[in-house]
Amino acid sequence: MPGIDECLLEAMALPGARGAALVDWSSGLALGTVGESPVGDHETTAAETAELARAAAEYESFATNPADPADPPASGAAGADAWRAASGPPVEDLIVTTRTGYHVLRFVATGFDSSVFLHLWLDRSEGNLALARLRLRDLAERLVLR
Amino acid sequence: MTSASIPAQVPPPASSASTSVSPLLTRLAEERATGALLRDRGTLFLEDGRIVHAESPATPGLEVLLTVGGGLAPERWREAVDRAGARRQVARFLVDSGSLAGGELEICHLAAIFDAAFFALSPGSGPSRFRRGATHWIGSVRSVPAVAVERETRRRRELLDAVWPYPRLDTSPVVPREAAPGQTVTLRQRSLLRHADGVRTPGQLAWALGRPAFHTMLDVRRLAAAGLVDTPHEPPPTRAPVVLPDWVTRHQPPDVALLRRLRDALEASL
Repeated sequence: MPGIDECLLEAMALPGARGAALVDWSSGLALGTVGESPVGDHETTAAETAELARAAAEYESFATNPADPADPPASGAAGADAWRAASGPPVEDLIVTTRTGYHVLRFVATGFDSSVFLHLWLDRSEGNLALARLRLRDLAERLVLR
Repeated sequence: MTSASIPAQVPPPASSASTSVSPLLTRLAEERATGALLRDRGTLFLEDGRIVHAESPATPGLEVLLTVGGGLAPERWREAVDRAGARRQVARFLVDSGSLAGGELEICHLAAIFDAAFFALSPGSGPSRFRRGATHWIGSVRSVPAVAVERETRRRRELLDAVWPYPRLDTSPVVPREAAPGQTVTLRQRSLLRHADGVRTPGQLAWALGRPAFHTMLDVRRLAAAGLVDTPHEPPPTRAPVVLPDWVTRHQPPDVALLRRLRDALEASL
């Protein structure tokens, strides 16, 4: 069970990785960053990617189940897992392709009410989008693995 | 953990106020101090000048975020406090006992630090005191540089006003409004609105939902901007009775000589 830093460093080991961050999309706060930012300032990038992630996470059209998820269940033995399954983000990831790079935003489902995602910035010519998607999925799961 | 409290020196209102949220915090960070910075609205715990924990009566702490906002059983939390509180390793115990993933703990703990710091460092949070050497029983999770916390606190203040500049929303009861036909209300908004009974303030909603208080305040401002929550109107400024000087109110006979001269001058120019 790696922590935030280990997780981001692993993401940076991907070919063509230029920068990575763990961001809270509700507030726009970067909880951790490594490498470069496309605008030279991780804080600005976090705030901007958070707006994009928030739109994707919240708009009805992207919700898998239009019904309201239950409120946090009465705590029990399997409470956290049930809560995670019921309230996890409906969107798994977002990919933005620019002329020079790829941005992959991967939502992280935690055992409590949170709003975080991993952001990986890849060089367009060196990066492998398919590999990056799979690795980020894996990292997002291991970040919350007990 | 007992130590001498040093009285905080009240800093002169300098122009650095815009760059430093708390001059005492800046100084403690430079000194690489360890201890607790106590203010009216919250406490910051420092270790070697870095912030390792924060709590505020205005925000739900880790316990609430994990049990109300998530699936951690309150018994598990109490067990961790009972068994690891004395040796100040509650956080580590939660992870080692499998109640929580290491990454989850870091995410939740950081959320709690920045949330509590926002209130602890709010303007008008009163004088500061520093208790040197004090530590928190939660134990070490992840530390953040003091400058990062100050910068984020400032960014959050600006963000609130950029979304919808009505600070009274932060402390007033949240009163939901009917959505306009076809208006989208997102899942998170719906769950907040369901708890908004017209009595609870954003702070109280944060406890009910197990979400950070700043996030709830921000969501309420966004809801108000979208017209889904009433924006409380500022009370009309109480108008001070206008006192006119004597020479205005006192009835005076017209200056007949002046009026005649004016009339003559006008007639001459026409």
